[in-house]
Amino acid sequence: MSWKYDVVVVGSGIAGPIIARNVAKAGYSVLLLDKKPAIGSPKQCAEGISIRVFDKYDIPYDKRFINREIYGAKLYSPGGYELELRYKEVSGVILERKVFDKMLAHYAARAGADVLARTEALDVIRQDGKIAGIRAKHEDEPVEIYADIIVAADGVESMIARKAGINTYAPPHEFDSSYEYEMLIEGFDPDLIHLWFGNEIAPRGYVWVFPKDEDRANVGIGIASDHPETAKYYLNKWLRENGIPSRKILEINVGVVPVGGFVKELVKDNVLVVGDAARQVNPMHGGGMAEAMEAGTIASKWIVKALEEENLSLLQNYTKEWWETDGKRLEKVLKVRRVTEKLTDEDLDLFIQILSGADAEKIASGDYAEVIKALLKHPKVLMSRRRLSLLKELL
Amino acid sequence: MPERIRVVVNEDRCYLCGGCAGVCPTLAIEVHASGWEFFQDKCISCRICINACPVGALSAEPLEVKE
Ligand SMILES: Cc1cc2nc3c(=O)[nH]c(=O)nc-3n(C[C@H](O)[C@H](O)[C@H](O)COP(=O)(O)OP(=O)(O)OC[C@H]3O[C@@H](n4cnc5c(N)ncnc54)[C@H](O)[C@@H]3O)c2cc1C
Ligand code: SF4
Ligand code: SF4
Repeated sequence: MSWKYDVVVVGSGIAGPIIARNVAKAGYSVLLLDKKPAIGSPKQCAEGISIRVFDKYDIPYDKRFINREIYGAKLYSPGGYELELRYKEVSGVILERKVFDKMLAHYAARAGADVLARTEALDVIRQDGKIAGIRAKHEDEPVEIYADIIVAADGVESMIARKAGINTYAPPHEFDSSYEYEMLIEGFDPDLIHLWFGNEIAPRGYVWVFPKDEDRANVGIGIASDHPETAKYYLNKWLRENGIPSRKILEINVGVVPVGGFVKELVKDNVLVVGDAARQVNPMHGGGMAEAMEAGTIASKWIVKALEEENLSLLQNYTKEWWETDGKRLEKVLKVRRVTEKLTDEDLDLFIQILSGADAEKIASGDYAEVIKALLKHPKVLMSRRRLSLLKELL
Repeated sequence: MPERIRVVVNEDRCYLCGGCAGVCPTLAIEVHASGWEFFQDKCISCRICINACPVGALSAEPLEVKE
């Protein structure tokens, strides 16, 4: 089989269907493919996302994929200090990604895109020194998909961009290994997400409880991927040490998340890389859905322009615009990650005590200069040369 | 030179999450919808994948070096 489209998008997670939808809306032919037999399954996610993305990226607020509305977050330090951030209004939601991803693909299809599950991209097709399309397999049937523009939205594996010659390599320290149970759990305010920090709890990362129901949550962990112990080991240890019964497990979710190493060149000729494949994830908390939507929006804008003006060199503007906007912000967040991973358990206790909830939110989003300046004046920071120099790295 | 290894998967532990393929510097692992695949000729024996697997599904076997 051999097909021809204006655009082929590999991977129907978050970034892929946003691009397919936007490009189809502009009237171009696009094929969105995913190797999964059921788009969205299994999930590899804690499913938390800001309430702002629905308006911003024109996604319906559909109760079929919203498990629970969330009003804030609670952070726990290793010594047991707590920091609560609670809004009057809904600040985020816990999705049902199996439904959400499938619906995003549905919106793409409704806008005019073709969508094909259980279709795995195997390699790029090279012709006359150019990349002419994708060699794929639908079930066991080989398919050649020719396209003017190829989008690699294939998640952490990032195989298609690499086969097209885009360098998406990042060192192992720039990834988190994650393990998660969707399980019954009680005793945590189900209106907040809960995060535990500590070098013995989750080296470089954190443990999370993201409530999907009054008594059910995604309970997971991320740790530095170059750590010799497994994420699974640390999560089970945390559950055991906290006496949390873990015999009501509905799902086990596994994944590796990029937390740094944003890809420099996001475009090579007619190939673009987006989302986890481009390592476009918040390095502090490992959330990448909103980032994938943002990058997908920028990429689709330039894809449409390039097709309209029949000028593929316009695609380079995606790299430029992403780096000037979200890339710049995420670089700042990466700086914070590099500092926080040097904090001792004592430091964590101190910062959780002296920071306000609003401060913590600013730090995680990259807008932290004022918070850091204020911290530098705190007596317990002033007294420690190490703490001072760590914080100064951020200014 | 690090010891040359063959990376082996414990299929009963593996979730086909794709993480090992993502961290491998040389595309020596591919994770298909239907299974995990290793390409010995591309592997540089760095062991990054073994550390990164969230469930410890990967291990190393020494590779016989033919002189
Ligand atoms: C345990 C865990 C918890 C997380 N929690 C959160 C959270 O709470 N909030 C948040 O915002 N983010 C979270 N993330 C990160 C988030 O899941 C990702 O950043 C997001 O899914 C990235 O979207 P994407 O479109 O780039 O890639 P993905 O959603 O990974 O989609 C990529 C798709 O490409 C397909 N694919 C791959 N290779 C091929 C191929 N060769 N051919 C065809 N199809 C292919 C895959 O099957 C997949 O469907 C979490 C990640 C993990 C692992
Ligand atoms: S990282 Fe582990 S669980 Fe994931 S695909 Fe590789 S071997 Fe399997
Ligand atoms: S040992 Fe290194 S090169 Fe070999 S498969 Fe693992 S990550 Fe790839």
